[in-house]
Order: sequence, then structure tokens, then C-alpha cells
Amino acid sequence: MNVALVGHTMVDPIFQSDNYVLARKLLDAAVVRQEAIAANIANAETPGYRRVDVAPDFAEQLKARLAAGDLSTESAAIKPRLIEDASARSLRPDGNSVEIEHELLAMNRNSVEHEYLTEIISQNIKQLKMAITGRTG
Amino acid sequence: MNLISGIDITASALAAQKTRLDIVAQNIANAQTTRTASGGPYQRQVVSFETELIRSQGSAGGALQSVRVAQVSTDRSPGQQVYNPQHPDATADGLVTMPNVNLSQEMVDLITASRTYEANLSVAKNARMMATRTLEIGK
Repeated sequence: MNVALVGHTMVDPIFQSDNYVLARKLLDAAVVRQEAIAANIANAETPGYRRVDVAPDFAEQLKARLAAGDLSTESAAIKPRLIEDASARSLRPDGNSVEIEHELLAMNRNSVEHEYLTEIISQNIKQLKMAITGRTG
Repeated sequence: MNLISGIDITASALAAQKTRLDIVAQNIANAQTTRTASGGPYQRQVVSFETELIRSQGSAGGALQSVRVAQVSTDRSPGQQVYNPQHPDATADGLVTMPNVNLSQEMVDLITASRTYEANLSVAKNARMMATRTLEIGK
């Protein structure tokens, strides 16, 4: 990890730990996924609509960077983006590929994930506060 | 970027489903209307939806699309003819053309619309919860 970068402060290493960077990235993805699910449910009755989701290559890119050892550099280029879900089949005559139950489950799952990630980020910040002040409160 | 992610999309869906509920109510209310301003019995109205681009991602492929009412069209199928010579709108041979409203079909539409409305409401609730949690980061 690059501690001695010019213009960076002493707290930077904390905000560049793999866990923190990963949580931040995944939190972005959770928000994008929430938007995708909102659009899918909104269009549950629109003829010909195809469901969208966060592209699976986002997680793969993150995994690859994690395996390469350093998440903090170049990770800005990894962004969650939306693609049409090609694997979703349409069983309806109007060609719509949204299943509302599936979307609601995905939403709940995403919500739990979001809660977990915000908690991780909060804990990171709390640890930093504790280190600075010596108090837990 | 919205503070509450996707709330504009959900709002559009709620409005669209509300319109659909209104039209269903209108159909059911006029299930026995044999005379309208344009003459002839009431014709069933049908709502159709279409997507509306909210945010494009350029070449990346997927885009966020909200929903809106494309049009309210008229169902042109013929209504049932009932023999009722006392009816003021009966023809010379005593037949009255009733509206082409099918109550059971309207009820199914009503339930579908209100379930979809509920699903969108729960999305709104969830988005709000997520925004609140995001604001609580670090607390």
C-alpha cells in the first residue's frame, strides 16, 4: 500500500484497506441494483420490456483486482453498469421478462447487502475515531 | 443522482397504475350505460403502458427506463345484445346493445393493478430505508 504519496494524509491507509474499498464499491453496486429493480418492477406490465441488472463482470473485475493484491489503485475504473439480463426468459405472450416475485426477492436481498455494507463502512470509521480519540463513544 | 435511488421510476409506475385503476373504475361504473354522448353504448377503455428513458448509459447497453401510460384506447369489440323491449334504447325489434364491459375481466385487471401498485410501494419503502441507512454511515 502506498502510504507515502504526496498530498495524502495519515488516515488514507485506513480508507484504502481492501475491506473498505471493497465495501464502498459494493455499496455503489447495491444502489445501482436498487435502481434496476425499481425500473424492473415499474415496467412489470410494459409489453416487450426486458429486465436489467448489474453486469456480472463488475464482481469478476473486483475479484480479479483483489486476487492481484491491490484494490486501491485502478479500482476507480471498475464501475457497476446496467445491462439487459439476457438469461431472463420470457414466458409471457407480451415478451416481458420481469417476474415480480423474483424482483421483490432480489430487492430484499439487496437491501440486506446494503445494510451489511453500510455497517462495515461505519465500523471502519468508528475504529478510526477510536484510534484518534481513545474513546469508544 | 437522486438521494433516494430510483424513486422517480417508482413514482412514474405508481402514477401509471393509478391511471389504470381509474380506467377500471370507469369501466365498471359504466357497465350498464347504454347511451353515451357520442351515441351508442359505452365502450370499454383499455390502458396500455410504454417505457420512458430515464437515464441512458451510452454504449454500455442497459438503460434505466420508467413507465408511462402510452394511450387509453377503446375496446371496439361488440357488446352483448339483450332482448328488452321496454328499454328506452331498444331498437324496433326490442334488442338493446349493452356495453362490452366484462365484469370478471375488470376485476382481474383491478387486482393486477393494485398488486403492482403495492409492489411499487414496497420498492419506494425499501429505497427510503436504504437512503436512511446511507445517511447513518459513521454514526
